[in-house]
Amino acid sequence: MIAIAFRNLNRQKKRSFLLGGAIAFGIVVVTVMNGFTGAFVENVGENFSSIFAGHMFVTGVEKDSDGGTTEIIRDDTLLLQTIAKARVEPTYLTKRSEFRGTIYFQGNSVTQTIVGAEWSEASFFRERLALTEGSFGALIEDPRGIILSEEIAEILNVEIGDRLIVRNRTITGQQNVGEFRLVAKSHDPGLIGALSAYANICYVNELLDIKCSEYRSLGIMLRSLGEIDRYADELYEELATALDLFEREKTEEEPNPFRALFDQADDEEWEGTRYRFYTMNDVMQQADQIVQILTTAGIVVLLVLFVIIMVGITNTFRMIMIERTKEIGTMRALGMQRGGIRQLFILEALFLSLGGALLGLAIAAVIMTILSRIFWGLDSTIFILLKNGYMTFKLVPRQVLLHFGIVAGLTIVAAFVPARRAALLRPVDALRSI
Amino acid sequence: MKRTCLIILLLYHAILAAADPDFATLLSDIDELGNFDDVDFSAVYTIVSEKPGEEKSVTQARLFRRDFNDQFVMLILQPQVQRGQGYLRVDETVWFYDPESRTFEKSTLRDNVQDSDAQNSDFNRNSLADDYAVVSWEVAKLGRYEVYVLDLESTNDDVSYEKMRLWVRTDIAIILKEENFSVSNRLMRTVVYPKYAKIDERYLPSNALIIDELNEGERTQFSLQDATTARIPDHVFTKSYLERVNH
Repeated sequence: MIAIAFRNLNRQKKRSFLLGGAIAFGIVVVTVMNGFTGAFVENVGENFSSIFAGHMFVTGVEKDSDGGTTEIIRDDTLLLQTIAKARVEPTYLTKRSEFRGTIYFQGNSVTQTIVGAEWSEASFFRERLALTEGSFGALIEDPRGIILSEEIAEILNVEIGDRLIVRNRTITGQQNVGEFRLVAKSHDPGLIGALSAYANICYVNELLDIKCSEYRSLGIMLRSLGEIDRYADELYEELATALDLFEREKTEEEPNPFRALFDQADDEEWEGTRYRFYTMNDVMQQADQIVQILTTAGIVVLLVLFVIIMVGITNTFRMIMIERTKEIGTMRALGMQRGGIRQLFILEALFLSLGGALLGLAIAAVIMTILSRIFWGLDSTIFILLKNGYMTFKLVPRQVLLHFGIVAGLTIVAAFVPARRAALLRPVDALRSI
Repeated sequence: MKRTCLIILLLYHAILAAADPDFATLLSDIDELGNFDDVDFSAVYTIVSEKPGEEKSVTQARLFRRDFNDQFVMLILQPQVQRGQGYLRVDETVWFYDPESRTFEKSTLRDNVQDSDAQNSDFNRNSLADDYAVVSWEVAKLGRYEVYVLDLESTNDDVSYEKMRLWVRTDIAIILKEENFSVSNRLMRTVVYPKYAKIDERYLPSNALIIDELNEGERTQFSLQDATTARIPDHVFTKSYLERVNH
C-alpha cells in the first residue's frame, strides 16, 4: 500500500511538487516566524540588560513621611559585601542614577531620561552604544558632558559643544536646573535608546541633590541571560539574610513578580532602606506575553494558509479520483476492499504533507542560516531584536512537531472526502467509466 | 565704662529688633489672607499657556477648596479633549483622574496643571509660614507700592522650589511678584500678580502671569472667575465625584 502510494505521487511529479510546495511554503513562513520569536525574548532581554547595565538589579527604597518612596542607595558597603559573599560571578557591577528631565536649547525642548554612570568603568556599554560624532573620552573628561541620540539632537538643533539647560526634580521632588555640554551623538538604537541620554553620575547626582558616592540602582551583569536562573535565588537568599529586602514573590492580586515588587512599596511601611531585588527575567515576563501572542499568531497564520491549501488539496484529490476511476475499479475487482482504497488516498495525502513539511523545514533552515549570517549592525533600527547585530532563531521542537501534526491532520481532512468517494465507487461502475 | 558699653550694645540690638519686621508673622498673614480656613471656596480658573512654536492652549478648570481639611478638587472643563480630567487631594496625596482610561494616578501638589507652567500648589492653600523661612530682606519700591523684598529658603522637602524671592506689600500682606529658584540657585520662573480679588475678607490673585525663565517665550496666564464661598457638598471631595461628574 505504501509503495503504491509513493508510486502514485511519483507518477504526477509536477502536481505533487506544486501541492507539496504549497505546504512547504506555509511551513517556511511559520517556522521562520516562530524561530525569530523564539529568540525574541532572549535577544530583547540581553539588549535590555546592556541598556540597563545588568542582568540582576538592586535598588534601595526609602519611605517618605508622606507615604511616597525614594529610590536611593546611600551606603553600599554591606550590599557589595553580601554580593561578594554570594557565589555570584558578575562580569560588571554598575552603579547608576537617573532622572527624567526636560532639555532646553534655544526655544526647543524635549523630555529625556538622563542616565548617569561611571563611564570609565562601563566598557561593555561603551561597546554597545554606537557614536556617530564625539567620543566617550570627551564624556569622561567633561563632568558636565552629555550624549544625546542623533534624533534628539536634531529635535533640539544642537551640535557638539553646545550648552544645554536641563530641568529636573531632585530626589525629594524640588525643581532643579542643570547645564550640560553636548560631547557626543549616538546612533538612535530604537525606542529605548531614543528615550535616554547619558551623562556622568556625579553631575546627575548633584542635580538629584544626592552625594556623588550615592546612586539609585546597582546593575549586576552576568555572562549571559541564561545565568540569571542559576544565581538569582542564591543571591536573593544571601541578600535577605543581610539586608531588609522586599519579598520577591508574586501575589494573588499581581501575578507578575516585577509589578508585585513595586506594589509592596506602596502598601508596606518600614524605616531606613529596604532593598528591591529583581532580574531581567522578571522584567521580561511582559515580553513573554508578546511571544505567546506571536506564537498564537503563527498558528493562526498556519491555519489560514492551510485552509487555502486544503481547498487546493481537496480539488486535486477529486481530480485524481476521476483520473483513476478505472484503476480504482480494477483494484476493487482484484479484491481490494473499500477501506484499502480510502487508505491509499489518505496515505498519499499524508506522504505529500510530510514531504512538503520536511521540504519547508529544510528551506526555512536555509533561510534562517542565511539571515543569521547577515550583520545588521549595532546601529540598526531593529537592534533591540538582534543579538550583537545578528538575527538569531530558536526553534522549539515541540512547536515544530505541532506544526507537522496540524499540516498532516489538515491534509488528511482535505483528502478524506475524495478518498471516501473513491472508496464508495462500485467496481462495475468504475470499470465502465470512460 | 563696661556698663555704658553694655547699654549701647543692648540699645543697638533693640534698634535692630525694632527695625526687623516679624517675618514669621508676615508669612502667616500672607497665608491667612489667601486661605479659607472657615468656609469653602470655589471658582473657575482660565489658564492660557503659550510655548514657542506651539499654538496658545486654553485650559478652563473649576476649583473646589476646603482649606480647613486640606482638600481640593480641580475639574477640567476645557479643552474638550481633556474635559472630565481632574485632580483630587486627599490628605497628602493628590490623585489625577483620566476619564478616558477611568483610572486614578498619583500626582503631587508640585506637578504642573495640564502642561502649563502653573502647578497644583498655585491653586491650593498657602503654607508659606510652614514651608519657608526668611533669610534676608530689604524694603524697595515695586511700581507705586512700597514692598518688602524677601529671600526665602524652604524648611522642608515638601515644596517645589527650595528658594523664593517675594515682593510683599508693606501695607497689606499680599504678594505682588515672586521669583522661584532651583536647588542650584537658578531663576526658574517669575510670577507677577497684577490684580487681586477680595473675597470674604480674603485676597486672591484674580490674574497672574507666570514666566518660564528657562524656555524663552514660554508663559502662562491665569485668571479667576465666579469665585464664591458657598458651601460645597462633601461628596465633591471624593474619587467617586470625579468618576461620576461626566458620565
